[in-house]
Amino acid sequence: MTVLAAEHISKTFGAEAAAAAGVQAVRDVAFTVEQGTFLAITGASGSGKSTVLHMLGGITRPTAGRVVLEGVDLAGLDDEQLALLRRRRIGFVFQRYNLLPELSLAENVALPLELDGKPRTACRSAALEALEQVGMSHRADHRPDSVSGGEQQRAAIARALVTKPAILLADEPTGALDSANSENVIALLSKLVLEDRQTVVLVTHDSTVADAATRVITMRDGQIASDETQAAATGVPSS
Amino acid sequence: MRLAHLLARQWAMRPGRALATVASVAVAVGAVVATWVAADASRSGYRRLTEAIEGAPSIEITSTEEGRFSIEELPSLGDIPGLRAIIPLFYRPTLLRVGEKRVREIAMGVDCKTLVGQGLLELTEGEPCLAPDEMVLDAGLASSLKLDVGDEVLLFARRGIKRMQVTGLAESASLATFSAGGGVVVEIAALSDMSSSLGLVDRVRVVLKPDASRSDVLAAISKRMPDTLSAAVPAGRASMAEDVLHAADLGLDFVTGLTVAMSWFIVVNAMLMNVTERRRGLALVRLLGGTARQLRQTVITEAAILGLFGAVVGAGLGLLAARPIAGGIAGALNAPLTEFTYDPVIVLVAMLMGPAVAIAAAWWPAREAGRVELLEGIAQAPPPPARGVSMRYLLGAISLWCLAGLILLAVLFELMPPRAAVPAGTITMLAFVGITPVVLPWVSSGLVRLVPSCWWIEARIAHEQIMRQPVRTALTTGVLVVAVSNGIGLGHAIQDNVDNVLGWYDGWMQADWLVVQAGALGAMPPQAGPDAAEIDEIAREIPGVAKVEAIGVATGRADGVACVVVARDLPAGESSLPLDVIDLDESSAREALERGEAFVGTALSQKTGIEPGDEISVEIYGRTTKVKVAALVVDFMSGGVAVHVSRETGRTQFGLNAIEVLLVTAEQGQAASLQAPLEELANEHGMLARSFAEMQSMIDRVVQGIVGSLKSILMLGFVVGSLGVANTVTMNVLEKTRTLGLLRSVGMTSGQVTRLVVIQSILLGAAGGAIGTFGGITTALFIQISSQPLLGYPVQMSLRPGLIALNMAAAMLVTAVAAWLPARRASRLDLLQAISAE
Repeated sequence: MTVLAAEHISKTFGAEAAAAAGVQAVRDVAFTVEQGTFLAITGASGSGKSTVLHMLGGITRPTAGRVVLEGVDLAGLDDEQLALLRRRRIGFVFQRYNLLPELSLAENVALPLELDGKPRTACRSAALEALEQVGMSHRADHRPDSVSGGEQQRAAIARALVTKPAILLADEPTGALDSANSENVIALLSKLVLEDRQTVVLVTHDSTVADAATRVITMRDGQIASDETQAAATGVPSS
Repeated sequence: MRLAHLLARQWAMRPGRALATVASVAVAVGAVVATWVAADASRSGYRRLTEAIEGAPSIEITSTEEGRFSIEELPSLGDIPGLRAIIPLFYRPTLLRVGEKRVREIAMGVDCKTLVGQGLLELTEGEPCLAPDEMVLDAGLASSLKLDVGDEVLLFARRGIKRMQVTGLAESASLATFSAGGGVVVEIAALSDMSSSLGLVDRVRVVLKPDASRSDVLAAISKRMPDTLSAAVPAGRASMAEDVLHAADLGLDFVTGLTVAMSWFIVVNAMLMNVTERRRGLALVRLLGGTARQLRQTVITEAAILGLFGAVVGAGLGLLAARPIAGGIAGALNAPLTEFTYDPVIVLVAMLMGPAVAIAAAWWPAREAGRVELLEGIAQAPPPPARGVSMRYLLGAISLWCLAGLILLAVLFELMPPRAAVPAGTITMLAFVGITPVVLPWVSSGLVRLVPSCWWIEARIAHEQIMRQPVRTALTTGVLVVAVSNGIGLGHAIQDNVDNVLGWYDGWMQADWLVVQAGALGAMPPQAGPDAAEIDEIAREIPGVAKVEAIGVATGRADGVACVVVARDLPAGESSLPLDVIDLDESSAREALERGEAFVGTALSQKTGIEPGDEISVEIYGRTTKVKVAALVVDFMSGGVAVHVSRETGRTQFGLNAIEVLLVTAEQGQAASLQAPLEELANEHGMLARSFAEMQSMIDRVVQGIVGSLKSILMLGFVVGSLGVANTVTMNVLEKTRTLGLLRSVGMTSGQVTRLVVIQSILLGAAGGAIGTFGGITTALFIQISSQPLLGYPVQMSLRPGLIALNMAAAMLVTAVAAWLPARRASRLDLLQAISAE
């Protein structure tokens, strides 16, 4: 079942001011993502991979083409509808974890549910369940600054999973971690794909991380240079 | 509220930021409460000052025909709101005999006991007079006649000589409300009976409550008057007239309006900083699915809660400060506070104002929070804010100026009341703050060049940081712009008016001694007035006297408007005419007066529409005379509602023989020797002799009192501005924690960081001062122009470099001092903490 489709999407920055002067970051990129896929988008710095991820997540809008998530064309949604879609159907994981320092890990994880108006107790139990899923329930009431980077990233993954999203988008999730923590995070993502059939799209410039994926799209100069399915994902990258 | 706990956590984690926001609201609310109370205290001080000179505000009912009328003709007025007392008055010129001394006096018949009971007549000693053979004397008159309570006096009346006993002495000022120049108070029935006029009164004085509108009450009374009676506002002799106080009142309104504007800037800036500092967190919430509406609600809720806390603290502080401020102003006005009560409306408004202002101020930051770029949430560093301002923004500021200009023109042409100038002034101030981001880059880069080259790098970074967020910086500067504009604008307006008033007095009263009638100005028929026609001749005979000028003054009506008529000697060879005549040279003015023409005060011209060349009907002592108006004059006699003629014209045309004031100039070195003979002369005629120095010091006290009260409020505004700036600078440094940490990590010393913060604040202070100077001059022009319809003439505005320099220096000093503590804090930042700060 197709969860996500990028239909010939392009992105030009600065095009609003003067088309000629715009920087085309992504050009005519098209692919689909089936449920349970672990897709890694790789490429050198500036190749447009993060921009593609931002368009897939509705963070920025394509200047051409369209993104369809579970049959919904993101271009047809206004900002508020997009916010609701991100809240309910997309999970985000970022390089710098991006947890709110004022909240405990459990509160950070519960935040998307809180935003959705779910009862406080339900939010708390769902957050604990998500933290349990990533092996962080014992740190539920700690603040982000009192746990390690790897633990923060696990909590960020729990936050992304708490709404049971259709797709999990991860932007360089191991970029700020040491190799041991990187392996743990990738193992966790692989487990989610293998055991829960969670769809994951991950952006990385690290080929060892990409090796863990079931499919790898390589980008160059804003375009897809290659799109390969890997026969066997080990679940743990070889470092 | 789903994000409430996030707010609570943020406050707990960054208490400094939340406290600074609460402090900004507290400063704003406290400022408005304190200014409000101070303005109220000033207004009530002005009122007491006027009452001390003119008597309590009142309305006078007289017969439309000449003479007395029966009290039976007076309709019932008791139910008209705003009335304090209705006082029937009966006057009788009489002669007092005390031992061998005979004194001409006016006896006034009143219900003495009731007046004392109502607090309208204050006895310094003794009891009110009740019986037909009892009297109360003006304490000043009693002292000059060496009389005391219990002494006996002979009073000459129509029905013969009557032996009277002095039962009490009255405070001179308290007689002002109903006295017609007289110092003898007798029970009204007894006096009218002595005059064979039982049941008749000369006039009825209706005294108003302090907060009543004189025009509304007058309209209500006039509606009930029969054809035989008329009601009017009595004209007073006092120079401190209502219209002049209106100008001061307008100044108070300006101060209050600008304080509100300044408070708003302080709060909006704090709110904006509060939100800007958290943009990254807000963007992250947006990214995780928070809607723009949810973020707006969060910011608004936070504003309401912090605003409420701020309001409670601010109202408390404002009210705590209120009594000493009111006391200080009352002291400056020399009008002691009799009672001080907190107006519950102020407290209520303050409590509502805090959250309301905070919510209003948070509207823009909330809108910004809703529009925050999602990518900011995951960016390594916040994106650079847009430099410069949009054309729409610029047009908005220019439109504000145009709007303010249009209102001012409408005020000038009397299409709108003078008070409309207050919002116009506030709008102008908004426009000045609005234009700040446009001019700030030039001002700042100009000022940066003045920083010593050894601090170049600090100055350069300080300038760049200012330029990074021009609109935000403009708001910080805005607080200073308003404070400096306030100081310069009102400072100029106050000083110009004071110079104007004092200059007029200097010209009008050129003499060594003044002999003046005791009590308030009368409107007695000529046959009943004190026969003082010969007093100037007697004064001229005193050895050592070089020159005597006599001035007769009477109340009357000019084209139906209450006025005073001033008839003055114009000795030949006088170097300059003691009148500030508009558009007429000295000799032509002198010739016009000699021809029997009149000069009309600017305010009277404004009220009647009379212009030079017109004829004006002047009614005094029940007789109407038409006189040609030769020119207009700027004067402060009853606020410019005066008709000036030569003494000869006064005598022949108006029957104005009585002398109100004698200006006596001594021969060289003889001034002191005139004291005894002039005091004796004054005593004999029921007058008071005062040296010019004494008179001048009295006028100076009154003027300086008003100036002092306005300056106190100005100072209050500056203190508030300083607190606002201190708070803003503190928040500014808090917001730059990460940047300052980065600078420290690349090798900037703590001293350099301190200098950077202080230089930045001084740059803001100087820029605010420079822009505020233009705002101040514009404000001064606004006040002068809007006062014109009240005063009837434009007050000359002079540029005062000292005042401007003082305000500039104060702005820079305040910002430098305000920056010192945050700068020290910034220099001691923990590097790791600083560079990891969100």
